[in-house]
Amino acid sequence: MKYFRPSTVNELEKLLSDKLILNSKQFLSGGTDILPRWENGVSPPKHLIDLKKVERLSGISKEGNNISIGTLTTIQQLKDNPNISKHFPSIIQATSSFAGVQIRHRATIGGNICNASPAGDLIPCLYVHNAKVELLSPRGVRIIPVDEFFIGPGKTTLQKDEFLTKIILPISNIKSMFYKLGLRQSMAISVVNFALSYDLNPDNTLKSLNIACGAVAPTVVYLKYLVNAIINGESVESVIDLIYKDISPIDDIRASAEYRRKALKNLIAYTINNLKNSDNPLINHDKDSHV
Amino acid sequence: MLHIENSEYYTIKFTINGKELEKTVPSHMRLLDLLREELLLTGSKEVCGEGECGACTILLDEKIVNSCLILAVEVSGSEIITIEGVSKDDSLTKLQEEFLQKHSVQCGYCIPGMIFSGDHTLQNNTSPSRQDIRDDLSGNMCRCTGYKKIIDAIESTSKSEHSS
Repeated sequence: MKYFRPSTVNELEKLLSDKLILNSKQFLSGGTDILPRWENGVSPPKHLIDLKKVERLSGISKEGNNISIGTLTTIQQLKDNPNISKHFPSIIQATSSFAGVQIRHRATIGGNICNASPAGDLIPCLYVHNAKVELLSPRGVRIIPVDEFFIGPGKTTLQKDEFLTKIILPISNIKSMFYKLGLRQSMAISVVNFALSYDLNPDNTLKSLNIACGAVAPTVVYLKYLVNAIINGESVESVIDLIYKDISPIDDIRASAEYRRKALKNLIAYTINNLKNSDNPLINHDKDSHV
Repeated sequence: MLHIENSEYYTIKFTINGKELEKTVPSHMRLLDLLREELLLTGSKEVCGEGECGACTILLDEKIVNSCLILAVEVSGSEIITIEGVSKDDSLTKLQEEFLQKHSVQCGYCIPGMIFSGDHTLQNNTSPSRQDIRDDLSGNMCRCTGYKKIIDAIESTSKSEHSS
């Protein structure tokens, strides 16, 4: 295994224009998912390209009406950033239950996205905030909505010579929350997770609503049918089964498909019904029930 | 330990427990194996090998990380502190003393990692609640103590640091 550590985008692009490298390379950022995979028998690549030292790929900045998050920004940097906590509370909630401190210091937002796990905790938050991702290759730049980036478990639209450079989040006044159901409280992979963004009218009815959930389909999915019905004034109870039109969970080592369906349905119904009482009804519900 | 055919070798320079060092390592070698097998710094332990247990926790450029999830080649130019480098002049740190006082140690395997995570709390939070301490320990597993006395030690260290 050859190891490369480019320090500029130019150097990186030079590596990617070498056919031999391009066809047998893997990118490394935090490495927190890649190393355990090798440990468990997956073959390492012939060429490992460590992105960590590439300039200008990390950090969080305000660009006009957007917040731009560099691909190498660590989960801990996200968690500690005042701009993120001001505008994107769901992201802060997702980072707070994200592994432990040691992994949060290494794992990056770009790695979390490019892993394309259907259970990735940051992804639903990016969906409900209408994030876009910027992809760069020696051929040029393309910017696409985050939900168009994922094709299936571990699969993305990223081309061989492309890499993720940043995540672009439009600043808005919508509120948001994230909830994860795991088998234990720390270091757990989500059985189901979801993020929800919303805006309330003065009379506490919903002005806008967006929901995305993970670990219930090959990629994170929006709950479009349910959201449309609720925005049209239907009661949550009468339309909650519409979530089944958007999800297709499977049985796996963490839970059965049936459990996932029921859990998600109950969690979402409870959340929507209690939004007027709390910014994150489920987190407060959990806290109360553990006292 | 990772076994990979056709490994390439790289020379890396780094600082470990205050000493500058140069080493030639295979590209697949994990930092944990460099520490334990080559440098004989066996205070960092391997338990799960996949970042779940925190027994291999070290300080890399002032941040706590799992040394089993990092390649040795990645730390070129970095500064590393292992549990062997935590105390100065052969005297224990306040937190280490407190682990002794509170009987926080049973088998001891997790303790180097616990000390690092406890230090992380003490340095980032001047008045941590027990829940804050627990949250910061979520990347460290202990199968003996039930955590209570570990949390006691971190809590009492914080209180004594900020009352004096």
